[in-house]
Amino acid sequence: MTSPPPDETLTRRIPTDWKGQAMQRRIAARYRAERRFRLIGLASILLSAGFLAFLLVSMLGNGLSGFTRTEIAVKFDFPRAPMVVDPAMLEGGNADQVLAGANLPVVTAQAANAALGEGGDALISSNAWLTVRDAIRDDPSILQREAVLSLPASADIDLAAKSQGTAQAEAAYARLKQGGHVSRAINMPFLTASDATDPTQVGIWGAFKGSLLTMLVTLLLSFPVGVLAALYLEEYAPRNRWTDMIEVSINNLAAVPSIIFGLLGLAVFLNMMHLPRSAPLVGGLTMALMTMPVIVIAGRNAIKAVPPSIRDAALGIGASPVQVVFHHVLPLALPGIMTGTIIGMARALGETAPLLMIGMRAFIASPPGGVTDPATVLPVQIFLWSDEISKGFVEKTSAAIIVLLLFLLGMNSIAIYLRNKFEKRW
Amino acid sequence: MSGTAITILIIGLGLIAWLSARARALRLAHAGRASPPSAPSPAPEARPRGPLLHSLPSYHGWYAAIWVAVPALLFLTVWTSLMPGLVTDRVLQDPAAATLPQDAFSRGAILSEGRAIAQGKAAAAFDPRSNAFVEPYREAQRFYSIGGGVIALLLAFAGGAYAFTRIRPDFRARTRVERLVMLGLLIASLIAIITTVGIVASLLWESIRFFSLVNPVDFLFGTKWSPQSAALGYGNENAFGAVPLFWGTIFIGAIIAMAVAIPLGLMSAIYLTQYARPAARKWLKPILEVLAGVPTVVYGYFAALTIAPAMRDFAVSIGISSASSESALAAGLVMGVMIIPFVSSMADDSISSVPQAMRDGSLAMGATTSETIRQVLLPAALPGVVGGVLLAVSRAIGETMIVVMAAGLAANLTLNPFASVTTVTTQIVQLLTGDQEFDSAKTLAAFALGLVLFIVTLLLNIVALQVVKRYREAYE
Repeated sequence: MTSPPPDETLTRRIPTDWKGQAMQRRIAARYRAERRFRLIGLASILLSAGFLAFLLVSMLGNGLSGFTRTEIAVKFDFPRAPMVVDPAMLEGGNADQVLAGANLPVVTAQAANAALGEGGDALISSNAWLTVRDAIRDDPSILQREAVLSLPASADIDLAAKSQGTAQAEAAYARLKQGGHVSRAINMPFLTASDATDPTQVGIWGAFKGSLLTMLVTLLLSFPVGVLAALYLEEYAPRNRWTDMIEVSINNLAAVPSIIFGLLGLAVFLNMMHLPRSAPLVGGLTMALMTMPVIVIAGRNAIKAVPPSIRDAALGIGASPVQVVFHHVLPLALPGIMTGTIIGMARALGETAPLLMIGMRAFIASPPGGVTDPATVLPVQIFLWSDEISKGFVEKTSAAIIVLLLFLLGMNSIAIYLRNKFEKRW
Repeated sequence: MSGTAITILIIGLGLIAWLSARARALRLAHAGRASPPSAPSPAPEARPRGPLLHSLPSYHGWYAAIWVAVPALLFLTVWTSLMPGLVTDRVLQDPAAATLPQDAFSRGAILSEGRAIAQGKAAAAFDPRSNAFVEPYREAQRFYSIGGGVIALLLAFAGGAYAFTRIRPDFRARTRVERLVMLGLLIASLIAIITTVGIVASLLWESIRFFSLVNPVDFLFGTKWSPQSAALGYGNENAFGAVPLFWGTIFIGAIIAMAVAIPLGLMSAIYLTQYARPAARKWLKPILEVLAGVPTVVYGYFAALTIAPAMRDFAVSIGISSASSESALAAGLVMGVMIIPFVSSMADDSISSVPQAMRDGSLAMGATTSETIRQVLLPAALPGVVGGVLLAVSRAIGETMIVVMAAGLAANLTLNPFASVTTVTTQIVQLLTGDQEFDSAKTLAAFALGLVLFIVTLLLNIVALQVVKRYREAYE
């Protein structure tokens, strides 16, 4: 509201002097305020978006190097190495066992010392012999000749190569580089291995598989229950106190902090029902309770959007109420329900706190085989790595975050695609 | 026979029952018609009345399949949960059980080792005494799993036979099947209530146990929080004063985070609804929503890795030497950014639902857009905005990962944003992620904190929804 003109002006009936200097100044000031206000609005949006950009850029900057690793070329002279392997024994399926007993760690350390000078074995990763083993398994003929293999560098050298290492490691790296030993390669083990204590050997596959198993349990439980509950509440429920109670509890469950669901899982699933700790089964159950209200709310909106004329038409030609819903309403509402489900699942995929409560934070060095095996999930793995003191974990944590964000982006894109493709305006 | 095999077998039987019951019903239907099946069905008045099928053949199929599968599967579920107890009972009947030591701990250890070997989970016994129990366990397990499987199959066959005898043209199979479907729907929607009851019951139960150890008044109004000292045996008095936690939660979630989120969220919503062109709005709104979709652990890592050191350096540069690298400010700032989309979308909704006539009236009086917004739209939309802010606060105080990763563990009662404070959620995680027995006051305290958190967020939500609802009604 602009302030009314002073009373005396009114009584004297002198028209306002809009062209006067005072008035012009006032109008200019008001327009300035207008522009200022508008700029503040724009600035606050840009600030929020800028924060998002900063977050993503800093994760990319820290994490992209986690997808590569430093390799050191080491020459092996297998015929003269202190090892005895009968190439014929490598033929069968137990090559790994034969090679495990073949003294490979010592062979690798000696070859590194010979190639890189004294102390060379400290420059390569302590698990480098596994790479040698794989090379021999893939091509046993190299046992008859000299071969140059690219071995993963140790954590210190790897950091130095990414110019984050200590002065000592930087110097060692500079020497290696002068000798032409080092190269950069894609860090495939990061995508195929599991947790480890050495940052050069960690991988996300174990946690990723744990996430997939947990999400599978969540989906199998929360989707049918959520859809059926939404159908009941929207189509059949009589308006009485029970229905009100169900609605109130669903709306409240959607707003309960996630950590409370973790406490529920701990008290009920672990301490009362004695289900296995750290298992994707328990994680999935807990997440299902958390995701179900989201699916119910999305499902009800989708069902509400189906026009009543379709129900009336089906009833009119003699369908029973159950047939109306399962033959007509549900198929029409399904795209909307799917969109809501994917969004709920994406939220559950990024959730960490409830899973900490039920013990999915253990150090698990092998991917889980089933839903009752101890496992961890991607966000918890990120949390665990972020607590590590070793500096090499910084890039691995950020790299895992990039993977998680890409996965979430994919899920949300599918949801948006579904919404745009199947959304109907009746 | 393993449980999985039996389950698959029963589902297979259900499928067979579905097919054969449907076929039988089809035959009945054809027999009921005057004309042969290949001919077009006669006009309704020509049909014989009596033997005409009441339900479609597939409903008869479903009816039989349900009778085959549901009782047998229910029985199997109950049986598998009872079986460990039955097996142990039978093993204890074994003569070898007389040699068991008396004390419960080594007794349990020997038994569980015997069981592990019998199930093939362990290769050899650590304690040679457990070897005596391998065979009894194996035998008992075989006995009960075969017994259970046989009973389940009998149930399936009995159910199938019962359902088959009922396939008659006038049998109302559809009504029966639909009644069961409705029961399933009702049970699915009751799960929400069961979950709520489960949350309240488990929190209350553990909290009551906690309050039998620690005085509730000391807990709610005490100002010293040091559960470690209680765990070390210095007693529970004065170790569980939660006021510093409550203050830390409010300081981070309701003060610092809101100081970031309210201005930015509100101004973003104003710009998006009042100034931005539709094309710009189409792009900017999803970008804001992405902020809400980033997992909290990512925010936490970002706060701990980037923001917290920057805040400490900033504090040191302006002369606060006591600045902590786990400052309340870092966690609060990042949490505020996370909350922006919530505030903005709630404000967006309530600003857009102010009647257009009020806006037009103000503009027609000569007010500029910003004057209209500040003096007409915002006062009118205020209840909705307040409701949205309350919801955002409830979300912020329940947020866990950001504070776990970026805020500290020191329970300080301080106003200094560069100092370290701790929150309710941080302490819940801290108290429960260690290896301690479940009955200690330390673990139970986590549930008491959870109860307080649950009640507060619930109240905030109820109040917020009431405010928003009343506001909506005012303009409808």
